[in-house]
Amino acid sequence: MLAKRRKETFNHLIFVYMLFLILGCGPGNSDENMLRIGLMEEPRTTNIWLASDTNSRKVLSLIYQPLYTYDPDTLELVPWLAAAMPQFDPETISYTVALRHAKWSDGTPVTADDVVFTVDLIRRFKVPRYFSQWQFVEKTVAVDDTTVRFFLSEPRAIFLTKTLVNYIVPKSQWAPIAQQAENTKKPLVALLNAKISSPMGSGPYVIEQWRQGAFLHLINNPHFFGKNLVISNRRLGPYADSILFKIYSTADVAILALKRNAVDYFWWPIQPGYIDGLRGNENTKVYLSDRSALYYMGFNVRHAPFSDPAIRRAVSFLIDKEFIIERVLQGFAAPMDSIVPSENTFWHADGLPRYGRGMTRSDRIKAAYRLLSEGGYTWDRPPVNDAGSVVSPSRIILPDGQPMADFAILTPPADYDPARATCGVIIQEWLKDLGLPASARPMSFGALLQRIKDRHDFETFILGYGQLSLDPDYLRNFFHSANDRPGGWNMSGYRNPVFDRLADESGKAMDPSRRRYLVNDMQRIIMADVPYIPLYNPVAIEAVNTNRFAHWEQMIDGIGNIWSICRVRPQTRQAARDIDN
Amino acid sequence: MQSKTETGKHERHSYRAKLLIDAWRLFHDNLIGRIGVCLLIVFGLMALLSYIPPHVDPMYHPMTGVDPEISYASPPSTRHWLGTDNIGRDILSQLLTGARVAFLVGISSAFISIVIGTLIGIVAAYWGKMLDGLLMRFADMVMVMPSLLVILLLSVLFGQLSIWTIVILIALFRWPAVARVIRSQTLSLKQRPFIDMARVAGASHLRIIFRHILPNVLPMALLYMTFRITSAIIVEAALSFLGFGDPNTVSWGMMLQWVWKTGHMFQAPYWLLPPGLCISFMTLSFYMMGRAMEEVLDPRLRRVRNAKHAAA
Amino acid sequence: MNLKRMIFKRSIEILVVFFIILTGLFVLFHLAPGDPVSMMVDLTMTPEDVDRLVQQLGLDRPLWTQYLLYLKNFFRGNFGTSFHYGRPVIEIISERLPATILLFTTATILAAMAGVWCGKLIAWHKGGPLDATVTIFSLLCSTLFLPWIALLSIWFFAFRVGWFPLSGMITPEIWVLPNLGFWAKATDILHHLLLPLLTLCIVNTGAYLLIMRSSMLETIKEDYIITARAKGLTEKQVRNHHAAPNAALPVITSVGLSLAFSVNGGALTETVFSWPGIGRELIFAVSNSDYPLAMASFMFIALVVLVANLIVDILYAYLDPRIRY
Repeated sequence: MLAKRRKETFNHLIFVYMLFLILGCGPGNSDENMLRIGLMEEPRTTNIWLASDTNSRKVLSLIYQPLYTYDPDTLELVPWLAAAMPQFDPETISYTVALRHAKWSDGTPVTADDVVFTVDLIRRFKVPRYFSQWQFVEKTVAVDDTTVRFFLSEPRAIFLTKTLVNYIVPKSQWAPIAQQAENTKKPLVALLNAKISSPMGSGPYVIEQWRQGAFLHLINNPHFFGKNLVISNRRLGPYADSILFKIYSTADVAILALKRNAVDYFWWPIQPGYIDGLRGNENTKVYLSDRSALYYMGFNVRHAPFSDPAIRRAVSFLIDKEFIIERVLQGFAAPMDSIVPSENTFWHADGLPRYGRGMTRSDRIKAAYRLLSEGGYTWDRPPVNDAGSVVSPSRIILPDGQPMADFAILTPPADYDPARATCGVIIQEWLKDLGLPASARPMSFGALLQRIKDRHDFETFILGYGQLSLDPDYLRNFFHSANDRPGGWNMSGYRNPVFDRLADESGKAMDPSRRRYLVNDMQRIIMADVPYIPLYNPVAIEAVNTNRFAHWEQMIDGIGNIWSICRVRPQTRQAARDIDN
Repeated sequence: MQSKTETGKHERHSYRAKLLIDAWRLFHDNLIGRIGVCLLIVFGLMALLSYIPPHVDPMYHPMTGVDPEISYASPPSTRHWLGTDNIGRDILSQLLTGARVAFLVGISSAFISIVIGTLIGIVAAYWGKMLDGLLMRFADMVMVMPSLLVILLLSVLFGQLSIWTIVILIALFRWPAVARVIRSQTLSLKQRPFIDMARVAGASHLRIIFRHILPNVLPMALLYMTFRITSAIIVEAALSFLGFGDPNTVSWGMMLQWVWKTGHMFQAPYWLLPPGLCISFMTLSFYMMGRAMEEVLDPRLRRVRNAKHAAA
Repeated sequence: MNLKRMIFKRSIEILVVFFIILTGLFVLFHLAPGDPVSMMVDLTMTPEDVDRLVQQLGLDRPLWTQYLLYLKNFFRGNFGTSFHYGRPVIEIISERLPATILLFTTATILAAMAGVWCGKLIAWHKGGPLDATVTIFSLLCSTLFLPWIALLSIWFFAFRVGWFPLSGMITPEIWVLPNLGFWAKATDILHHLLLPLLTLCIVNTGAYLLIMRSSMLETIKEDYIITARAKGLTEKQVRNHHAAPNAALPVITSVGLSLAFSVNGGALTETVFSWPGIGRELIFAVSNSDYPLAMASFMFIALVVLVANLIVDILYAYLDPRIRY
């Protein structure tokens, strides 16, 4: 009796098992027009004011739109929600912007009121990250339904290149939230934590469904203003009916999905190790794009020993950027000789000191040794002996007669960024060649930032800015003495009145050629004093599956941009091959 | 069984020696114990050999040495018997160093947890009452906590864990089982006449504990040490695997993390296999040793064994 | 009656332990370097931005007040807002907990059942070559390094052979299409569940098998087994209906004792398989310094462990007629 029942259960189990094998194995024959994009991590939030992680910003960039955006070829500003370039009035220091006839996803028009509301919201709540870009905008006025006028308190170079590319949010959705938040004790936190399950935007897509932990489904916004419009010589779509964001937590799985046609684009920089496999696969195509990024080693110049520029220059000589790029980044990066990447052709200064580029290891040690001995540093056993050959030195003795204390090179942990962690170890070994007692110390990112940015409790560190804005205003932010305070951008504690003066002037310079001249000078000062040693600017490596979609738009930082999303088109397999050939 | 009464120092010594020989014979007869010891010898050799490669050529340094010509993950070759990792470091020398680290972590943290566990066990049993209840409740509480996750949480205190912090943290969460066993042993010892005799003779508490109780519970503590070693190795490996290990140490868990995080899981099976095999077999060898020792030390199990032999 | 008293007593104990854990967590996260704001801060924020956040998060109040507030909030089910997701922690937990419970309970029950079943058979063939092989093999399985075997099984079963999906819990395509019903979704989850399940079972079954085996060997010598044999029952009947049920009791105890261990393993498995469970969320939260989420995830895991322990105790008392508390 019992045995019989058990046997029945067993048979049922087998049946169920077969059933799901049949059903589950089919590769979800999704609809032809669905663009599937892989993400590495789940977006954190759909609240635009909280979104600081790249994944949330990627999703939200398809929903919220800015007044202006960058042309993919020239990187110049092009009108997006705006109808034309802004009109500047030097008398009142004001800009007038006319809007396109765009609509929100509920069909109501995007008006000047929405723009005024967005600016007011940022200024009223002092929204982190955005406020500093709108701080100097004294007044925003809706001249009529489709015209806005921004009054600046002083001329600011970044207004055009940074401020105007910010997103505009709909008043109808945000006004009630803002009002509610203002009535709480903590208005800013209430605003940041406000739940926006379906953000209303003016972009090509809107959120249809978000299953936390698994996927995010976006569908076409029927009211998208750009449909069939030609901007920057490109006819906009979008052509995909919906976008499915799939979350892959490991790159391995995502790459495999690309090869096996389970996803059309993996929106995440790929490690160089995958390139050969992807190139060898007939379903995939690799895109290599320049990036505007800065990975660098920084010093604490507030106190000895790294307050002395001589020792910082010596370290610059010891660091072999080509080796790092060759080894750690497998050649997919460019060495940097300035804080401004050379890919940013307009602002990058030429003819800066190149500290040992192309030198052999022993030449580097000798050059650094010469610099340091001239600076009053001594050794019991110098790194270069009397016969002129390189030997293992004793600990370096500072000009004040004290042996140099052990110090750490702080880096992010290996699982956050293996490249920087490995750089720390390699640089540590190079510094030991000169008797500098360095040890690499990877630590969790939060703790790292706190030590460097808030407590200034460090000697050296390796950090990076993955997406440096094209506008070189960061140069001023990084090294201006006014930003040398706890939590400030000037983490090195660099102070130079000459630099400060140039920086202040460049911030107000409205004439690009004048500003360029100033920015060049600033780069020259920094590279002579090297509070930061720029290391490398990686290449963005991305891959797509070519079977279903084509026409990706490549620009700086890769193919993941609004242009691509508006332009990719479903393809038959044959057509995809033709395009490739 | 030998008589347990002690008549003289000499006799006691010979009794102990005989016990030891007896134990060794039993241990030697035990298949599982034999396998365990053999495996352990292999790992011991690996740990010793780990000092050699960096002297052959600096490129064999497990952490900082890179092959001048290879800067990608490469399969086994004559130059790198187990291949290289993604930046051209030798996997074999990393594997050897990993053995050293595993021994270091396993033995030192097991030792600390044994010391803590034994002390707490003896104290709880010896003083009894409130203290006993309290300590044992506490032990229960620590025992039911998932130690890996607790240590993960504690890692927020340190920013980044160093290998010694990991050793101590593991030890701090691995004593309760030891304490329980030692406590019950001590409780039964307390009933024995020689403890009473010592007390009557005016021996201090400390003397009783260290002179009379400790030597008798020591074998059990040692037995538990082998089990603690296995769990310490596993916890360290898991921590490193998740990215919370000491970044300046080449451990097997760390190697697995590198394979996983640099995305070589599907591309480089030669890199994925060795560290995991080593962790698994090393824990296996200690575990087997422990089981074999358990059979030797625990008379109840031995009886089962003997009965089995008799039956066969 | 006695059973009820036992349950009552153990529940009180659990409450006390839980309270201690709560306090411990509070202390831990206040000793932790880096105020909670440091997570929300990134390189692009100005110091003024940071100051405003610190002030608004109420971190400038005395510690004692914060502790009371924390307890009050906890018992009201308010675990704060995740720094990372900017959503109430309880929302995230309630999304993740079902996935964990599905994987964890299925794996534990399956492994225990498989262990009991195999151990029962092996014990009956004691001393033979099969016994030795299986014993050593299950020793090997129980010491396998879990994340490694998980990676390996993904590499083999999902990548090489392609029987199972590589990771995750669902196939988004199936869930997006409106025309697929409940069964398609259920089988999809099941399909994703199998490989992590298999991995956990490989590692856990070995230990249970060994316990069952030695427990069987002890039980066989009991009087009632001899009686049963004397009654003329077949070997199979004796084994399955008389020896095994009693011998399985130690397995239940060991399930309880090894719960903490299994939870560790569960978290590792979830991480490797990208299974959207609470263990993975905890590891994720710790590496992101998302303190509220890490705290709450840990609390729930601790709660699950404590309650599961209680259930095991009750089950044991219920099954073993000799034990009466």
